[in-house]
Amino acid sequence: VRILIAEDETLIRLDLRAMLEGGGFDVCAEARNGVEAVELARQHEPDLAILDVKMPELDGIEAARQIIGDRAIPIVIVSAYGEDELVKRAVEVGVFGYLTKPFREDALGPAIRTACARHRDLGALREEAESLAEALAARKAIERAKGLLMAKEGLSEDAAYEKLRTASQMSGRPMRMIAEAVEAVLG
Amino acid sequence: MNVRRGLRVLIAEDETIVRLDLRTLIEDQGLVVCGEARDGLEAVELARELQPDVALIDIGMPGLDGIEACRRICAERPMPIVMLTGHSERELVDSAIEAGAFSYLVKPFRGTDVVPALRAAAVRHGELLSARRAIGAQPLRVHVSERSA
Repeated sequence: VRILIAEDETLIRLDLRAMLEGGGFDVCAEARNGVEAVELARQHEPDLAILDVKMPELDGIEAARQIIGDRAIPIVIVSAYGEDELVKRAVEVGVFGYLTKPFREDALGPAIRTACARHRDLGALREEAESLAEALAARKAIERAKGLLMAKEGLSEDAAYEKLRTASQMSGRPMRMIAEAVEAVLG
Repeated sequence: MNVRRGLRVLIAEDETIVRLDLRTLIEDQGLVVCGEARDGLEAVELARELQPDVALIDIGMPGLDGIEACRRICAERPMPIVMLTGHSERELVDSAIEAGAFSYLVKPFRGTDVVPALRAAAVRHGELLSARRAIGAQPLRVHVSERSA
């Protein structure tokens, strides 16, 4: 697991890096503030980010929002404060974990592993939902085009479908595009 | 899920003092402890009966352990579960993940770590559910009437 860490206090950052590396994780980048965290996340594409809440320039929660907006990765917030308002803000932004400082080596590993696992589930489900929505939209377009060909050109359902399929094969374009073109002309 | 609402939490922990401690610190943050289980079987039953928003389950409990309880609860109704344990070995964490646990707190836990874990688990799990629902809700066939839509 490649991890980006963001922490403004040098000693704590070094400590965090040492703990993570001791636990077998790869710290791929270190940021000293929120702005740097967002930039480094873009540059290094880490698997996970651990962000301190209180940082100069941009705080950890706002940095988390921007990082997730760029590319969805699991984020664990670390904070010297457990105030509920901060926690709620962090959760609303999309973080997977929230640990209070000082760090405990034995708490970091489980937090990272669970965050990665459940984030992977979420990503897989969202991807599946997206591709299903896409497939459904394609099927609807094809059905509409078939209906138009049947009505306007007097083709049977099979013949209409065959016509779309042939056009797709000849042009090397997906059937959905052909169907949408048919709709644009006949619809 | 609205994080402003008082989340309903089920606690499963065999040690009475720890259980009381958890209840207090959870309620102090405005969450509602809707049930307390003393072992894994009771946790499964109470999860079914009370339909909590999130559960905090100790791994080392008599009878049915927390990981098996987590597995059974998630099989009946997927819900966010935070595991609680004195051990952070990789294998145990992996089996908790495999059983469906959402996060993992290591004892002696800090009071300040419990509620954030519960909130994060509840909201992220809500996102998982809505993604799952989006998949389940996709109709398999296009109705004929949509052809002319």
